[in-house]
Amino acid sequence: MSAPAVEEALAEIVGRPQVVSDPATLSAASIDGRQPRWLVSPGSTDEVSRILALCSTERLAVAPRGSASAMGLGNPPRRLDLVVDTTRLTAVLEYVPEDMVATVQAGLTLDGLAAVLGKHAQMLALDPHGGASRSIGGVLATNASGPLRFRYGTARDLLLGVRFVQADGTVTWGGAKVVKSVTGYDVPKLLAGSLGTLGLIAEATLRLHPAPADTGSWLFTFDSGERAGDLLSAILASTLEPDRLAWLNDGALRGLGLPSATAALCVSVSTVPEAVKSQGATLVALGERSGGRAITIPAALWTKLGEAFDAPLMLRIAGEIRGAARWAREIESSASRQGLSVAIVGEAGNGILRVALTGVIAPEAFASELVAPLRAALHGEGGSLVIERAPLALKGAIDVWGPIPEVALKVMRQLKEEFDSLGILNPGRFVGGL
Amino acid sequence: MPLSAAMLIELERIVGTRGLVATPEGRMTYECDMHTFYKGAPDAVVLPESTEQVAAVVRLCRREHVALVPRGSGTGLIGGAMAPVGGVMVSLTRMNRILELDFDNRSATVQPGLINLWLSQATREHGYYFAPDPSSQMVSSIGGNASTNAGGPHCLKYGITVNHVLGLELVTGAGEVLRVGGKVQDQPGYDLTGALVGGEGTLGLLTAVTVRLLHVPEGVKTLLASFSTIDDASETVSAIVGAGIIPAALEMIDEVVVRAIEEGIGAGYPKGAGAVLLIELDGPRAEIDEQSARIVEMCRSRAALEIRVAKDEAERALLWKGRKEAAGVFGRLSATWLLQDAVVPRSRLPQIMREVQAIAARHRLVIANVFHAGDGNLHPLILYNDLVPGELERAKAANDELLHACLAMGGSVTGEHGVGLDKASSMPFQFGDADLAFMARFRRVFDPDGIMNPGKLLPSHPACGESFRPAAPRLPAGTWV
Repeated sequence: MSAPAVEEALAEIVGRPQVVSDPATLSAASIDGRQPRWLVSPGSTDEVSRILALCSTERLAVAPRGSASAMGLGNPPRRLDLVVDTTRLTAVLEYVPEDMVATVQAGLTLDGLAAVLGKHAQMLALDPHGGASRSIGGVLATNASGPLRFRYGTARDLLLGVRFVQADGTVTWGGAKVVKSVTGYDVPKLLAGSLGTLGLIAEATLRLHPAPADTGSWLFTFDSGERAGDLLSAILASTLEPDRLAWLNDGALRGLGLPSATAALCVSVSTVPEAVKSQGATLVALGERSGGRAITIPAALWTKLGEAFDAPLMLRIAGEIRGAARWAREIESSASRQGLSVAIVGEAGNGILRVALTGVIAPEAFASELVAPLRAALHGEGGSLVIERAPLALKGAIDVWGPIPEVALKVMRQLKEEFDSLGILNPGRFVGGL
Repeated sequence: MPLSAAMLIELERIVGTRGLVATPEGRMTYECDMHTFYKGAPDAVVLPESTEQVAAVVRLCRREHVALVPRGSGTGLIGGAMAPVGGVMVSLTRMNRILELDFDNRSATVQPGLINLWLSQATREHGYYFAPDPSSQMVSSIGGNASTNAGGPHCLKYGITVNHVLGLELVTGAGEVLRVGGKVQDQPGYDLTGALVGGEGTLGLLTAVTVRLLHVPEGVKTLLASFSTIDDASETVSAIVGAGIIPAALEMIDEVVVRAIEEGIGAGYPKGAGAVLLIELDGPRAEIDEQSARIVEMCRSRAALEIRVAKDEAERALLWKGRKEAAGVFGRLSATWLLQDAVVPRSRLPQIMREVQAIAARHRLVIANVFHAGDGNLHPLILYNDLVPGELERAKAANDELLHACLAMGGSVTGEHGVGLDKASSMPFQFGDADLAFMARFRRVFDPDGIMNPGKLLPSHPACGESFRPAAPRLPAGTWV
């Protein structure tokens, strides 16, 4: 089919105004410098299905896109013909507050959903940094998470059911619309974090939680990372039940306009007011015993954390929980050796550190002197380093995901081959070049 | 088809003389799980002691096109750990060690045969425990729990097994040793760990499981509230959940089961009540004090007959004893019964419980109920006497009606027991052709030759390769599939 004929076919599916082919818009929709030939915005799952069926027939490479905030994630696409934009798919399809479950379309944003749930004192416990305007489909496909994961987990814990469109256009449902189900394979787990490489998430059924009655937040600043690590261990070994537990380095503290310190832990407790008070008192006592200076902070700070480390170069490091202080130190010293400044905000209770680097670094130095040694050390304990965002020149120097163990990668390849044998869904962007 | 002598010799070479069971009476021991309705003895049972032995057995069976059935403690309720087409059963009970306890990382790595409760016993003195608590936890294995994605009363607050599995070692149906996930979170790539939990042995054999440990909460409060009718109890459950309180557990036990528990083990439950709610809160003391006061108020306003609060650990243990051992007293009610595990959206609980009672009346049967009310996971126990002509048929009809009533409300076929042989034919009620085809293709990636637990989980095993076609299931006469 000729390019004009494809465009005609797309227009027939979604309507002419929903097919964009003007160069300026397409250029803005580029992924790692690769410009799509069309940008289409379907208005229903059925339209998504027809688009993918067409792409399958025509072997057109597709990149799904929600709010476009995480398009920097992944290796540069091998091919790109079509960006499928989900921002018109914003309906709340089913929501019975008493069930604490909602089924929504993928393009709905987190704050769009929050506005609906807030009326019933409920929430979706996913708070990726930089995030309320992110689409739910994108958050799920990238397995994005934030500080609330300490209590509520990640997409794998909150995604109950998923309707997705396979590469050939087949609309498929997996999971259930109830909070507890083990009927069949847990297909939602496979889709969460798959970066659109197995199918395009069109609808999601989500587990909701009651919004807590009260929240207290504290910041503990330390003159050494080890002492911050001591408090982290003390909290984890106690009966305290914080909902958020974040690690901040000095770069992040300064970015947020908070008191400067070598390291800090930011902790919140959310429950009934009486328990916030009693847990808070215990927490402050533990913090001071570890040598920290405690201040109370407004809960609003949590939504601002993302701003502290928004940079063109971002890494996500996953290591052992007990290693937070050590990894933070290693990152800071490698960054300073390269002349980069660094802000770290981490979900310390989960062993995750998010790193924003500012400055100039050559691709070769980035790959072999910064990333490779950290990766090698992290792999020793089963950890990983993912480059979540980087200028194209740096991406060209090293795989953004890092190596995957051989047998696991083989299985992942087989899955990709099984469900997208033509390789039209986000080709090249996922692990191992899938 | 019996295994060849050569194959038995090869199996023995892999697992040793003590690791092979091939006598008729020995194999008979393994012919069913707790769903004794389905019987199918394997042609041989092997009891490996290492991942390498498991992998060698799988590779041998793959070469010989022989079916493989994994088995943990055999406490499943779905006809999962039995061999409808014969073949080799792999019993993992000898692989029952704790490989690592890592409290700093809140995790433990165990072999699949480790008994669920043993892990909490080994970690409690350090302040930790393993949250999934199926009623069988004193005998069921963690490998079996992960394989069936088992639940339990406390999954209302803490989630089912998959929410607590961080990593797995699995010998795939292709005979490869696959290690995924681990105590470090967020490994890049597909979440194979999440997708493999609940595979019911159709994707491979679990040989190690890394699980999350939780810290023991500051306080626990256990309440027992009795009501004159199931309706009052159901409305109370809806009110508690609707008020945004998520108890650790919220269980309902009806009059029939309370009576049997009291006659059987005497847990001190109030006799004569139409339904009893067992409610447990855990967490910071100030939180559970406030929540329990609200719950007591909700129970009172829905005409609770009596509300008891356990004063100490001994009283709490007694209240739970009745619930945890309820399955053990079912035999007092009837020798034969059908057990459902369907789920409804939690707001529909009062409605479905009225439906359960109506179905029981319509079919002139007793349906006993003891279940996880808080998350809408029903366990109606349909009692029948197979000596009374026609009663089994009525029980089956009631069972089907109940399942369809749950699904019509937007529910699910199984909340925690799994699919197995028992519910494979119900899968099309919940999933369309495309959905089932996706699952079949997913299965084929892990089990290219269709040798892993054939006949289970999916309706007709469409993933089955050309090279292996299971024979017709050898089920006893009268079996309903």
